[in-house]
Amino acid sequence: MPTSSHALEAINVSRKYTRRDGSQIHALTDVNISIQEGEFVCIVGPSGCGKSTLLQLCAGLDSPTHGSIRTKGTPVSGPGPDRGVVFQKDSVFPWMSVLHNVEYGLRCRGVSATEREKVAKHYLHRVGLTDVVNAWPRELSGGMLKRVAIASVFANGSDVLLLDEPFGALDYVTRHKIHDVLLELWNESDRAKRTVLFVTHDVDEALTLADRILVMRGGKVVDNLRIEHQRPRNDEALAEPSMIAIKLTLLEHLGIGHAHRFLEGVKQ
Amino acid sequence: MTLLARARNRDRLVAISVFMALILGWQLLSYAFPQEIVPGVPMVPGWQIVFTTTLKSLSLYWPGGWGFGSVAAGEEQSYFYAFLAIVYHSGATFLRLSVGFICGGLVGLILGLAISWSPWGRRLVNLPIQFMRVLPLLALIPLFQIWFGLSFVGEATFVAYAVGAIVFAAVVNAVGNVQLVFIENARTFGANRWYLYRTVILPAILPEMEAAVLLALGASWGAVLGAEFLGAQSGLGYILVFSRDYGYLDRMFLIALLVVLYATFSYWLAMTVFARINRWNKVAR
Amino acid sequence: MFGISKERRLDHAGLTTRVIQPIRKILLRMRFDPLSIAGLILMIGGWFALLPVTPRSALPTPWGVMDAIVQKFWFHKTFAFYGLIDTGFFSALVYTTQNVLIAVLVGGAIGIVTGLIAARSSLVRAALDPIVLTLGTIPIIIAAPFLLLWLGGNRASAICTVGFYVAVILYTYAQRAVDNLNPTYEAAARTFGASRRSVLYDVLLPGTLPEILGGIRIALAGAWGLEAIVELLASQRGIGKLIRSITTASDIESLFAALLLLALTAAVFDAIVAVLFARITRWRLRPESN
Repeated sequence: MPTSSHALEAINVSRKYTRRDGSQIHALTDVNISIQEGEFVCIVGPSGCGKSTLLQLCAGLDSPTHGSIRTKGTPVSGPGPDRGVVFQKDSVFPWMSVLHNVEYGLRCRGVSATEREKVAKHYLHRVGLTDVVNAWPRELSGGMLKRVAIASVFANGSDVLLLDEPFGALDYVTRHKIHDVLLELWNESDRAKRTVLFVTHDVDEALTLADRILVMRGGKVVDNLRIEHQRPRNDEALAEPSMIAIKLTLLEHLGIGHAHRFLEGVKQ
Repeated sequence: MTLLARARNRDRLVAISVFMALILGWQLLSYAFPQEIVPGVPMVPGWQIVFTTTLKSLSLYWPGGWGFGSVAAGEEQSYFYAFLAIVYHSGATFLRLSVGFICGGLVGLILGLAISWSPWGRRLVNLPIQFMRVLPLLALIPLFQIWFGLSFVGEATFVAYAVGAIVFAAVVNAVGNVQLVFIENARTFGANRWYLYRTVILPAILPEMEAAVLLALGASWGAVLGAEFLGAQSGLGYILVFSRDYGYLDRMFLIALLVVLYATFSYWLAMTVFARINRWNKVAR
Repeated sequence: MFGISKERRLDHAGLTTRVIQPIRKILLRMRFDPLSIAGLILMIGGWFALLPVTPRSALPTPWGVMDAIVQKFWFHKTFAFYGLIDTGFFSALVYTTQNVLIAVLVGGAIGIVTGLIAARSSLVRAALDPIVLTLGTIPIIIAAPFLLLWLGGNRASAICTVGFYVAVILYTYAQRAVDNLNPTYEAAARTFGASRRSVLYDVLLPGTLPEILGGIRIALAGAWGLEAIVELLASQRGIGKLIRSITTASDIESLFAALLLLALTAAVFDAIVAVLFARITRWRLRPESN
């Protein structure tokens, strides 16, 4: 089987669930996506559109009813260090110090103590948490814990990063700051850019971060929007006409665009 | 002084006074009920009796050895022999208790983790656990008596059963309560099953296991004494049942005080150990 | 839990909708888990498997135990021979069950009321907590001989002893239930203009009910053992006394029979209470678990 250059692919993927009373839920229907190496792709969609399910399948934490997920051509059969995940819920282990949490992936793979401490401290420094290296997770705020989770995943060296609405619980300001942290880590100069698949319901977040936005609705991919803008995209950049047009398209897909159109029509 | 500190001081004062009231109440009761069940032994022995006559009378239970003769063989009753008797019998009870507790705890832990390994394991043991839960522990003593006769093995096994059943059920329950996100997180880091158990499952169940261990500790005290009641030749339960058969309420009371003291100390010890282990946990109210 | 569940596909046309799904619906409503039943069968199977390697004096045969249950249920001459008042398992169980239920009802009521009061009044709490924490932690195996000697080994003293421990358990549970109740509920009620009485009846009582009912269930489960040991030590009636006589006679089949019947009775009442309480608190939120 030749390895393709696609870092992550979903081929004709469907996922069905059966409720307690026997009826079926079609979480995903014939989804096809392909993500190149180094791309930052966001999936946007309303609640229940299947975006989190798709991410779970890519992570290998669940398997599709039909179709397959492949990474670099080989099918995915379970979770693994090649696809790092940042979860929506708090996944930082409370019984380990911050440092041990970031070292965890490296410990699983048997990296030596000195080496992994070096790597862990490096990434903790890059996310701005050098002061709390030996603290317990219960002593940290929500935003700091998210940074620990991100540092852990980066420290483990995964080529593919999967993020499932990771910043939903954070306040506006913390979320802004953590976007910068994430992009800065992603833009590493000393290695090839990692591939990122980022699920969110926040349209502005997607516009700030993504190279490409996939829109999902009712278990299907309904649009694929490319964003050419340079990063970092500050508020000025988000206010440019081309970006506004993309945003309106997204809002329309989410079912709340008609308000703007209505107002536009009224102005005329 | 702040309002909160004043309230806490008041509460502490009330707690101490209640305690003193209990002690005083006992003494008053001893004057109110001076009847004796056995000549020379009041039904409610006052503190002055408990710490003198009764204490000395415990020397009767010193079987002799270690270079010191026994009272039965003609030595005088004294505080020293009473002390030896207490050490000897407490030691016997401790031995049964600790051997049973450690064996039962380990077996319960290992079996519990092993059963939780498989997704069907937990569902499989559900009903057997429910059955063990409703089977009263102390009612099984006669059964163990028939099986093991009067032996150290039998008594320790009974304690082990009591502890093991509680720990096993608690481990199975606790593993089921581990948050899914932690397990998934570890798996995405590439942890295999063994590593997952060592670094995630075990630390995660420790807070819940504290309650189970304290419960098992309480059950093991009841179990060891109950086992000794029904036929041992040494130990605190032996003294208790021996005294009861002859109506020596005062000795029973002294031994009971001793047992409560030991049990409270063991609880305190267990809680301190867990506090150390669970440093990372959020402090509960 | 660790495995990844896959959807099983049935290719037979119509089989799924016409046969499998209705059966599944009925089974789900009865809340039967086939694996749980398998676990029970395995346990019984284990009994059979142990038979060839154990002496009959240690492990009776299942049919020997069934025989003992059937024969000695209503009346048996050996029990009369022992001089027992309860000449059959049934009357002994009735006696024990009555004691347990009375102890749980009365002790439970006292424990719950004092617990609720103590939760809201720190003075009462400071007075009662030390008593509960010292006297309540004395293992019943220690306290029972005293209480029975002082109060006389009659029915009332047994009920009082068991009732005391039930009260201690429920006192702690009731207190904890009030402490754990989300204060937002009470605050919300007050903002709606609720009177103190309304807050008590519409918020505090229903809100703490699930945890208190859980405590009752646990106290009931424990009460069977407490009553059994009290009877074992010094009673003239009840299943505990019966077990004592049976042990003296080394009648292992009857012993197994007595223990099984005791466990079964406790299990039946536990199930009834579980279903009843689940119905009463139909509205409760379920916590997440894997």
